Amino acid sequence: MRLQALVSNRSFLTLLFGALLVLPAFANQYTLFVGNLMLLYIILASGLNILVGFAGQLAFANAAIYGIGAYGTALLQVHLGWSFWAAAPVGAVLAMVIGTLLAFPALRLSGIFLALSTLAFAQATQWVLWHWQSVTFGAGGFRAPPVNFGWIPIKPDYGIYFVTWAVTVVLLLFTWRIMRSRIGRAFVAMRDGEIAAQSLGIDLLTYKAMAFALSSFYAGAAGALYSALLGFVSPEGFDLFQMIIHKAMIVVGGLGSVVGSVLGASLLVYVMELLREFKSTQEIVFGALLVGFMVFQPNGLVVFLKRWLPGWREPLHLAGHAEPKASVLSGSFKGATSDERPAAERA
Amino acid sequence: MLDVQHLSVWYGVTQVLRDVSFSVNEGSVVALLGGNGSGKSTLLNALSGLIAPKSGSVRYLGEETAGLEAHQMVRRGVVQVPQGREVFADMSVDDNLELGAATRSNLKEIRRDMGDVFDLFPALRDRRTRAAGSLSGGEQTQLSIGRALMSRSKLLLMDEPSVGLSPRMVDAVIDAILRLRQRGLTILLVEQNVGVAAAVAGQAHVLKDGVIAYAGRAKDLINNPEVLASYLGR
Repeated sequence: MRLQALVSNRSFLTLLFGALLVLPAFANQYTLFVGNLMLLYIILASGLNILVGFAGQLAFANAAIYGIGAYGTALLQVHLGWSFWAAAPVGAVLAMVIGTLLAFPALRLSGIFLALSTLAFAQATQWVLWHWQSVTFGAGGFRAPPVNFGWIPIKPDYGIYFVTWAVTVVLLLFTWRIMRSRIGRAFVAMRDGEIAAQSLGIDLLTYKAMAFALSSFYAGAAGALYSALLGFVSPEGFDLFQMIIHKAMIVVGGLGSVVGSVLGASLLVYVMELLREFKSTQEIVFGALLVGFMVFQPNGLVVFLKRWLPGWREPLHLAGHAEPKASVLSGSFKGATSDERPAAERA
Repeated sequence: MLDVQHLSVWYGVTQVLRDVSFSVNEGSVVALLGGNGSGKSTLLNALSGLIAPKSGSVRYLGEETAGLEAHQMVRRGVVQVPQGREVFADMSVDDNLELGAATRSNLKEIRRDMGDVFDLFPALRDRRTRAAGSLSGGEQTQLSIGRALMSRSKLLLMDEPSVGLSPRMVDAVIDAILRLRQRGLTILLVEQNVGVAAAVAGQAHVLKDGVIAYAGRAKDLINNPEVLASYLGR
């Protein structure tokens, strides 16, 4: 086999997920928990990257949707006595339905205005979680019942780990496929020019709704799994800082890159654990990473992989400029980036 | 191929197009001329489904298409090449062409059609991996045309492809349109540049204040100082 083929996205992902699959054999409880968190954040980052990185919708509701998935799953078990296996898919779909509704404001709003309206939605969700005490148990949160693995002889935390692993792999393969399909191309076209996208036959409402639906389903699924992992759900797990974490992951990893989501999520979970004893520094470090990357390397770490590893392919990712260029995030604050045509006059 | 009858378009309370009628035959190149604010881009947008006309009929291949949306028109083979080219500047030439095929799913056919575009515009083949924003204006125009072709279009609606280009690049655009005409593509071309229209189009229509004020052979326009002066401001 040629060396080039060895350093591909596929081999990177295979290696990482292979390692994560055998991790429980060597891990203590703490390492297992961190591995599980890593998987959860890979789901969250992949979902958010579909919406922000591929489809270019600067939304800030991911953490809230994540919370809706977690609350939905856990509350169905607590109030209605459902089993986790029935509640989790319903929780994820509930999150998807609510998240898809956000596509309607997105049809009229873009950039900073979409960011603000989705942020308002996230804060409203927080408010409901805090104040609708008869259903959500308020600020203190509540315990979710332990997951029952029935006849399968496995300890619950290992069971959850393998379920999360499987869900992550399935969702990533799905992301990979769908971003290489007609849908992925439509997302990217919409991101880089709505007028051009429309004139190429892309129905904005359909594709925006699809982007919100996909990313909300990922967040909802992660929420469902998170409620099972922790056995406890409370509003502060889904607050603004949580949103910053998700956003930092995709910016550090690489907007509009599947591997970027995985890379950013794994790395930042590691950073988060390094800082666990100094909880207050987490917010500073994550904020700094987010701002730092946006300013100095808005296309994320995958840019380096693309530059240094000749076999590395980033389909439909921004065409590797030597110097950082306008990204989705910075671009939307500046307004239309399509006016920058450096070489248009050169002729 | 395209038959427009009594088309009227309003922006809010302002009427932009009044009772516009004309037709485009299959395989022909038809030019729409007019000064700024004459309504030519509006007409193009109404035909491509980007805006909805208020009244009138647009028949395309015998089917009434007035009021259909852009994505529905693209599926029928009517594609607009937007003004100012609107290439995806940060993405490679290859990716831009691939995005032109956003409504299609067969990757193998998409690859083959990309090869066709490169045969038509060889300059693009040498720049496949370059960011579209780093191309010259003429190359960007070629790319935006190629991208529109990727949706397997039958009727191309071009909105001022020559705008903002140097004379040499305008020649390249003329050359590109002529080659498309040779391939049997039908083109409706909106222009301010009478020279371009005369070089490529058979029929020409001149719009003034939302009304078709002149219709005739494009070549005759150049020798018609009256039309040039009163409708095109020359």
